[in-house]
Amino acid sequence: MNISINLNENVNAIKEVLKNCDDVVYRTIEVGESSKTKTLMVFVDGLANGKVISEFAIESILKISKLNKINTESIMSNISEKVSDEFLAIHDIKEEYDLDKVIEMILIGETALLIDGSDKALILSTRGWPSRNVAEPPNETVVRGPRDGFTEIVRTNTALVRRRIRDPKLKVKSMQVGRRSKTDIAIMYIEDIASDEILNEVIRRIEKIDIDAIGESALLESLIDGNHLTPFPLIENTERPDAVAASILEGRIAILTDNTPFALLVPTTVGTFFQSSEDYYTKWPMASIFRFIRLSAALLTVLSPALYIAITSFHPGLIPSVLAFYVAASRINVPFPAVVESFLMELTIELLRESGTRVAGPIGSTIGIVGGIIIGQAAVEAGVVSPLKIIIAAVTTISFFAIANYEWALALRVIRFIFMILASILGLYGIMLGVAVLIVHFARLDSFGVPFASPFSGLGLKEGDLKDTIVKAPIQKLKFRPIFTFPKDKRRFRER
Amino acid sequence: MQKKNVISNNQIKNLLVTTIIGVGILSLPSNIAVVLDNDGWIAVLVSGLLIIPFILIIDKLFKMYPNKTIFEIGEEVLGKFIFKIFLIIIAIYATITLAYSIRVFGEVIKAYLLERTPIAVIIITMLLATSYASRAEIEILGRVATMVYPILLALFIFLFLINMPKSDYTDILPLFNADFTKLPRGIMVTIFSYAGYEIIMVAYPLTDNRKDTLKYTLRGLFIVIGIYLAAFFISLSQLGVNQLKRTLWPTIAIAKEVDLPGYFLENLDGIVIALWVLIVYTSVGPLFYIGGKTLSYIFNTKSHDVFILPLIPIIYLISMIPDNIISVYDEMGRILSYFLIASIMAVPAIIFFAALIKRRRRRT
Repeated sequence: MNISINLNENVNAIKEVLKNCDDVVYRTIEVGESSKTKTLMVFVDGLANGKVISEFAIESILKISKLNKINTESIMSNISEKVSDEFLAIHDIKEEYDLDKVIEMILIGETALLIDGSDKALILSTRGWPSRNVAEPPNETVVRGPRDGFTEIVRTNTALVRRRIRDPKLKVKSMQVGRRSKTDIAIMYIEDIASDEILNEVIRRIEKIDIDAIGESALLESLIDGNHLTPFPLIENTERPDAVAASILEGRIAILTDNTPFALLVPTTVGTFFQSSEDYYTKWPMASIFRFIRLSAALLTVLSPALYIAITSFHPGLIPSVLAFYVAASRINVPFPAVVESFLMELTIELLRESGTRVAGPIGSTIGIVGGIIIGQAAVEAGVVSPLKIIIAAVTTISFFAIANYEWALALRVIRFIFMILASILGLYGIMLGVAVLIVHFARLDSFGVPFASPFSGLGLKEGDLKDTIVKAPIQKLKFRPIFTFPKDKRRFRER
Repeated sequence: MQKKNVISNNQIKNLLVTTIIGVGILSLPSNIAVVLDNDGWIAVLVSGLLIIPFILIIDKLFKMYPNKTIFEIGEEVLGKFIFKIFLIIIAIYATITLAYSIRVFGEVIKAYLLERTPIAVIIITMLLATSYASRAEIEILGRVATMVYPILLALFIFLFLINMPKSDYTDILPLFNADFTKLPRGIMVTIFSYAGYEIIMVAYPLTDNRKDTLKYTLRGLFIVIGIYLAAFFISLSQLGVNQLKRTLWPTIAIAKEVDLPGYFLENLDGIVIALWVLIVYTSVGPLFYIGGKTLSYIFNTKSHDVFILPLIPIIYLISMIPDNIISVYDEMGRILSYFLIASIMAVPAIIFFAALIKRRRRRT
């Protein structure tokens, strides 16, 4: 619908659309002394910055009437330009002819200025809503490294990334998703590194989304990852701008969503889940050891409870006889088979973890103490579980927290229950069947056309991508970008 | 983005190695020692080298008909009817080999890991797990093979290294002492262990770099020959020729001999068998895939995965026919050897020569 010349018609139209929206403010000001011209400002209270509106918009317009410079008769034809050019002290003003667009802009937080007798609205950039400051992300802390994290505002987040890469080739493509929420999405990539095919695929998949609202990037993630049956995340997420910048430089594509500090990174492989941004801030031998520890942590999370079940109930002969006797002796008071014991223990730990993450501060530490005492002593003394099982459960849980990426660790944590069931039915053979099926499952997954199991499954093996996966080679040896992103510009490091 | 249906040469090599090495390696040293005593390695080597001409034939065939699958080539060269008969032979071969492998596998698992579990449970769970791999396409099998390949290599290197200091190498001697008229019979025994190389017939046309495929394939074959020879020599020097002949699965037996002082694990054979499950999995999976693929061409279906699940009960029933492990090796092995020779040697050779004749005729 186009804006009419008559102000009253426009007001009625806007009020009709925004009926019962009591947070919308209509402010009428009359301009001129001899022949009064009506002007109207519409904005959403709270989204628009009231101080800016009062000081730089309303005050400027009121000055017009005081100075009475304006002869409305003579400039009636282009009154909007006049006002915008000569009076308004606002940094960004756009013109809009379409009423629906105007309403959209009002809902973003801009102020619409409508002047009687003009067929366009001025959109004053007055966006300003309460927001969190840039702070250190609580889930991805580092000992050494930058301490800034993303906030809930996509514009701030793109700025945090652009501050790190001042390359004009760093592109930010904006999109909107959600019929109702109209959530802003920014796709960031470096034009001459990122692969066009992957970029087009990302855009194609986002454009295909037809949903009413995107609340968090996790929702976007599950809509574009292309496989909703697997428990494993096919898209990495991070709160750290330095991680996003580093990934973009590798040729990956970042998807930033408004209203959440979590940015998405594609494509993702198994290898990238073992990388942490701190690996690149510590010396390489230590970083390599940490990588190895994370890899073993992943294995331990999945396999250690299952191995416990398999060895105690099927193959006690595999471990040294002294240890086997000890295991048997420690289980002598336990009335349950190893499976039941393990499930009891692992579920208790899950319970503790879940309640620990949901409550914060002093109550959280209470849970820790209660859990520690119950698990550490009472359960053993009551003869519900054996001491060895507690060690296993503790190792499993600690390993879980050692894995760099939370979602990835969570998926591994869930499938350990499947391995426990397999181990309780078929012992070590069952575990190996599970491993084989898991390997095939990894091989079948792909993230935006990139084999998920890379580089272990072949892509990039010859190019040496393992140098930054199992170990972290010194930067002098990482001359080339990883191949899984199919970068246009392969070389990253040159010696002069 | 990686193109669909593309497999790298390295993946082909890994696929070749993991497909060939499977249940055979456990019994190969003793089976051949029964025929040729100390000189069993000659048969291992010769039958391995015998595979080379067939790989060359396949390479040449795909050079003559670029961008075509083996099924399209076979149909064009031999005509639909004759080729379908060949395909039926291959399908029978794949089914019997699967039944054979899975039965031996079940017996080994039962003997070493799950004494009280019925063998039917082991066989069916293995088949079900394998069907997940074989329903996928060949490039996914290539990825799986690449992930399992380092495990396979590490397992054998570890096994050989820990056995080296305690072996008595004089057991290998005397060399060239056997009765060489028995060599053809020996080769018939060892050629079994190279079944599975035919996976390259499916993988070959999908390579991303046609130039080096032959090189990688041959490299894979030599790795297999190397592992087999090492397995033979280590078993021989560890057990001695007389005990080797009497041991059913010498490759596990040598793992049992080792005790690692101060190590966490007491019985290594359990761990070796556990990792061997992966190796069998990657060997049975591609074979199962070939079976499904062949059937899908016989019945002209679009995808091969519809045949995988119905094959499971058939394979299971066939695998349960022999009464015990000895008759698996003897009777089933004998039947299998005819189909084996026909499928992995005769079929590619016939297609190749028919193609040669056809091409020559066209030229004149």
